[in-house]
Amino acid sequence: MKLVLERFTKRFGATTVIDGLDLTVADGEMIALLGPSGCGKSTTLFAIAGLHRVDGGRILFGARDVADVSAQARNVGIVFQNYALYPHMSVAQNIGFPLRVRGESTTQIDRKVRSIAGLVRIDELLDRRPAQLSGGQQQRVALARALVREPDVLLLDEPLANLDAKLRMEMRSEIRRVQLETGITAILVTHDQVEAMSMCDRIALMKTGQIVQISSPAEMYDNPADRYVASFLGNPSIAFLAADAGEELRLAGGQSLGPAGRLAGQGPLELGVRPEHYGPGKGPQLQGKVVMMETHGREDLFEVDLDGGGRLRAILPAGSGVRTGASVDWGVAVERLFAFSPKGARL
Amino acid sequence: MRQDRIGFLFITPAVFAVVVFYLVPVLMTAVIAFTDMSTATGIRGGDYVLTESSLRKLDDASLPADTVAQLAEGGFVVDADGLAGIEAQFGAALTTRIATALLDEKFDNRREIERALNDLRAPELRITRDRKAAAALFQRSVLNTRHDTPESLRAALSVADIPLADHDQIVQAAYTGWSWTTRNFELLVSLPSTLRYALNTLMYVSVTLVVFNIGLGLFLAISTFYLPERTSATFRAIWFMPRILPPVLYVLMWKWMMLDSGFIASVLAPLGVARINWMMETEVHAWVAVILINGVVGASFGMIIFASAIKAIPQTMLMAAEVDGASRWQQVRFIILPQMRWPILFVTAYQTLSLLASFEYILLSTGGGPGSATEVWAMAAFRTALNNYGGNLQYGMGATFALVLVLIGTALSLIYLRFFNFQALLSKPRIER
Repeated sequence: MKLVLERFTKRFGATTVIDGLDLTVADGEMIALLGPSGCGKSTTLFAIAGLHRVDGGRILFGARDVADVSAQARNVGIVFQNYALYPHMSVAQNIGFPLRVRGESTTQIDRKVRSIAGLVRIDELLDRRPAQLSGGQQQRVALARALVREPDVLLLDEPLANLDAKLRMEMRSEIRRVQLETGITAILVTHDQVEAMSMCDRIALMKTGQIVQISSPAEMYDNPADRYVASFLGNPSIAFLAADAGEELRLAGGQSLGPAGRLAGQGPLELGVRPEHYGPGKGPQLQGKVVMMETHGREDLFEVDLDGGGRLRAILPAGSGVRTGASVDWGVAVERLFAFSPKGARL
Repeated sequence: MRQDRIGFLFITPAVFAVVVFYLVPVLMTAVIAFTDMSTATGIRGGDYVLTESSLRKLDDASLPADTVAQLAEGGFVVDADGLAGIEAQFGAALTTRIATALLDEKFDNRREIERALNDLRAPELRITRDRKAAAALFQRSVLNTRHDTPESLRAALSVADIPLADHDQIVQAAYTGWSWTTRNFELLVSLPSTLRYALNTLMYVSVTLVVFNIGLGLFLAISTFYLPERTSATFRAIWFMPRILPPVLYVLMWKWMMLDSGFIASVLAPLGVARINWMMETEVHAWVAVILINGVVGASFGMIIFASAIKAIPQTMLMAAEVDGASRWQQVRFIILPQMRWPILFVTAYQTLSLLASFEYILLSTGGGPGSATEVWAMAAFRTALNNYGGNLQYGMGATFALVLVLIGTALSLIYLRFFNFQALLSKPRIER
């Protein structure tokens, strides 16, 4: 079901947390609300769920405005960071709870619980209590409970934050698989850009109650709207260099990156260089010294202090032989540079 | 010092307190329950005195009528003591005369000795009244003489020619101190008032517990949970006030409200309702009053425990239930109440025991009345042992009442402990929150 937020506004007391937010999620699409804590992403999610009262604007499920509809009457499914399973009920009772409060018959509940348990692959756990499950299994139960009544929208509030790294990878693809199989419209709230990029069709990057950019993961990575977006995506993260664009693109430290091209005459600006666009033979060379090297197994991460000032990060295939303290003259892929105005706007 | 020894050192004050303030009193109660201690017997040993009342008791207890009469009358012996009395009252002449004629003579009753004295034809005894006074000086009764030991009493009985076969029974009856007995328990089982106290206690504990301490406590906790924090805190504070009020003052306010000159009566009077004592008019009135007075105080305990237990339920769990479509009532019924199991058990256990032992509000309000309609077990124990109108405080019987209460309380504690299942309580929660 298509979901639309129109001029959605939320206040807590006198503080306006979200002011006139617009968002459209297509039917069957999975979208991420990505941003640092306090940016209003969970608030938005809770408002969609009906747990927070809406202070202005409309929330449309299909054609129906649900802004004034109670959570109980909205038909959404939600998965919380701590799963919020009911500890006194078995797994089957947990999953069947939304159906039970709706007054469905026992046989019908049983049938639906079994089918959804099969989908999330917890058929053999139905008699257990939540306390007897691992984190990943609890996660699956929570997912099944959210999906069992075939909600219009599936809401996921930091669902992977409580899992260890290995389980997180596994559950990432599991949630995506289930979402694709059911074809449900889903919203994922996360502060983890890897989660957002790997699981979702589109990402809405939020900052202080505003959506800064909304686009597909690749588009957002390759074409960030501003310095904030560029800095948020990518791990290891992007490096920024102060520079001045006249005829030549000259770094604040004095070194030059050659002709300024389309940036000519922009004056002071900031350059964003992703680690993969800096390395041996990538473009105009810069003199520098390796100050830090980390081995990540398949690749090595370097931090290079440029002569005259500025620091860049580089990621190279393992086995380059470069050690901390070495002087390097690696190049920058100028055509992949991002340029930002001093206020952070993309140039 | 080893670590476990330090541990023992730390609990020493607690062990000391438990022994001194719990174990010793309980043991004392158990011991006293098997005695007939009362105000009359005192709590130390006693003396041996035959009194008019002990005579009556002996008569009832089928001591031969002759012996009883003999004890009551006593014999008359003309001995040195009696002669000394004569000398002081009538002079030496009569003394010599009596000594010569009657020394060491024994008489069974007053008539015989009076006749013997008359036969002396002494001028001092011409008047009947004088003769009677002189005879009285020779009366040698065992009545009203205090003996320190049973042997001393037995010697006196021998002197008074009481048949040896009856001595044991008489000595026993003359004993004024306490003795070991199981009569208290027999009495407890046979007295109809015991059943009354037991039923009163059952009624008092169960209704107060279920309706107020648990029922109202839960209701208050859940209803305030859905209110804004400030409002609910204020509301709970108000409910808590009776608990910090001195019981005397608190009950006084209830009396002010319920007595025939009180608030309720005054409000209803203009409506044509007769002024009655709303606290004591009938047994039903008294019960309603007793349970309300206790319940209003008792509910606040459960309210606080339940309210904090509800707060411990993760907020997201209730959010999840809401999104799952559960109405407020369904959230209470399916999410909150099932997780209240431990707090409810705890409050039940704790309040059963404290209600069993408490009677101060009853004592202060209805005083157990009307009649003994609201007299509970603990109050009966208190009255029997420490405070009754008769003035003869029956420590032994009171201790028996108290001992039964201790046994019931201990048994209930053990049952509740099993319910609590300490193993489960102590193990770490495995669910991540």
